Amino acid sequence: MAFFRRKWTPGEADEWTKEDYIASVLSALAYIALAVGSALSMLLMTSGFIILAIGILLSLAMYYIIDPKLRMISSEYEKRQKEYLQELAKIQRWEEIK
Amino acid sequence: MVTFHLLDWIWLIAFMVLMIGCGVIFYRLGKRSQSDFFLAGRGLPWWLPASSVYATHTATDTPIWVTGVIYKYGLAGIWYTFFAAWCAVSAFISTRIFRRSLAYTQAEWQSLRFGGLGGELLRGWVAGWQVFMNMFILGWVGMAMGKVCFFAFGWPLWVGLTSFSVVCAIYVLAAGYWGVIMADFLQGIIAFSAIVIVSVWQIVAAGGPGEIVAKLMATGEGWRLDPFAFSGWFEGDFPIAWFLTMMVIAIVGGIGMGTSMDWYVEAQRIQSAKTVRDASYSIWGGTALVLVRNSIWAVAILGFFALNPNIAEMKDYEMGWFQMAFEYLPAGMLGFFAAAILAIHLSTISTHLNLGAMYVTRDLYHHYINPQASEQKLVWVGRVATIVLLLGSFMYGLMMEKITEWLIFAIWIMAAGVWLPNILQVIWWRFNSWGYLSSWVANLSLSWLIVWVLPELGVIPKLADYQQFWLLVFLMALIYIPVTYLTKPENMDHLVRYYVMSRPIGWWGPVRAEAEKRGLLSNE
Repeated sequence: MAFFRRKWTPGEADEWTKEDYIASVLSALAYIALAVGSALSMLLMTSGFIILAIGILLSLAMYYIIDPKLRMISSEYEKRQKEYLQELAKIQRWEEIK
Repeated sequence: MVTFHLLDWIWLIAFMVLMIGCGVIFYRLGKRSQSDFFLAGRGLPWWLPASSVYATHTATDTPIWVTGVIYKYGLAGIWYTFFAAWCAVSAFISTRIFRRSLAYTQAEWQSLRFGGLGGELLRGWVAGWQVFMNMFILGWVGMAMGKVCFFAFGWPLWVGLTSFSVVCAIYVLAAGYWGVIMADFLQGIIAFSAIVIVSVWQIVAAGGPGEIVAKLMATGEGWRLDPFAFSGWFEGDFPIAWFLTMMVIAIVGGIGMGTSMDWYVEAQRIQSAKTVRDASYSIWGGTALVLVRNSIWAVAILGFFALNPNIAEMKDYEMGWFQMAFEYLPAGMLGFFAAAILAIHLSTISTHLNLGAMYVTRDLYHHYINPQASEQKLVWVGRVATIVLLLGSFMYGLMMEKITEWLIFAIWIMAAGVWLPNILQVIWWRFNSWGYLSSWVANLSLSWLIVWVLPELGVIPKLADYQQFWLLVFLMALIYIPVTYLTKPENMDHLVRYYVMSRPIGWWGPVRAEAEKRGLLSNE
């Protein structure tokens, strides 16, 4: 079995798993690398191009890890969204919710 | 003073016509319902709210303060702009939770997370605070535009403050968030292109990247090229301790809701995205663009420093990026640059007009004053609220010089003391409305003591801002943790409903167990 899951059931995707945590860490590191790499690249420094490339790779890795899970969460949630919106409208109007 | 040629005026007028056109084209969509007027019907693909995240976070005053920190601290100054990095974590945690709640606003979310009287008090408080904040930001940004127009054309401040905001109000009034988001998309493209072109132009005018590096090295200013040039661990005005604190505030803060002032703006973008996935990518993508943009700016400002190295007063160098553009751009390009400044300005103004109006309409009028209001009536209340916010912002703008210091303090205290409670409300089921409310109330008094009163009386030394932050975090916990445990947990029915809908992260064991017992969780 692969370290990162690529197939999810709706129930599994609703849980918080290592894919979420790793994607969050990669995301923060990618931001740092993109910010520093862009600045140094604009100064035509070699280190800047390397850091920028690392930032782009980290972003792609983040996408690879989290996207299958986000797709499943989204498609499953959309099925229930209409019902939740009706509940929200009742709360807004101070009506009782069962 | 800047002189415009015919081509410059054509750029500027064409841009304004395009923006007002957004209001006319999307008028019919905007007036359909409250959901359309404030969230574009919750149906946007990720790249539209992403462009809005980018456009909104590029305000007229942004290049001014970015210039200020880069000129002073060199490339390390980019960390001052790194507060936006809360989106790195938020994109995959709090954004997902908030999108699933379907709350229009953060104020509404408070009443979904917390029940009863406490939840309603929080909703009213957050809504009122946000109406004030949006009006204040509108005044602040409007006044920045007033200064730019004074700098460029010698116009009185009030002309720049009011004239462009009125143009902006036309398309916000007509099409609501549909107008905001479509204009933001165009403005985002124009602003990003212009910032890249103008910054590259400035770098070339300063002699090019190699010349900038050589000049800095030759004058003993090579440290400015190091993004990690700090003044020591704790000593100096730019220590590593500050940097680490900022990283924690930004990155860990992404787990919570409201840990950054920008959250309230992003919350609207999150709910306007058509799916949870679109919401996540919109926040991530828009912010990545903001950070890259800041870095491009930073290098152009290093070029400004290389040409003008000995400016001592901040007021004299903070307009550096604008100054170089106006000095070095040729006729024809100036109009394009002015259109970009206008794009930057209008995107921020339109967002805060619509966002402030949403809090008035959704949280104050619809929920508390007229719960049975029709969709058409709500759209009209939204429009009236937009006008009130616009007029209020002019008043704030004209008072701004006198009250800025007080208001910066107000923003700071609103951020520091409730930073951890803003995370706890997301991750800890037992944290209740009274605990959260107590943190807000305690924050108002304790922050005055720590920041101003006690240092003034000599009871404690004057602390650096990062030290104030940690002290406030610690002291505040001594208040809201006991209050939480001394008051009852939230109603379990309310918590279960929230949990099933939002599936929050963290310590929710008892609520989850209850939801499973009731057969409300999918086990597929």
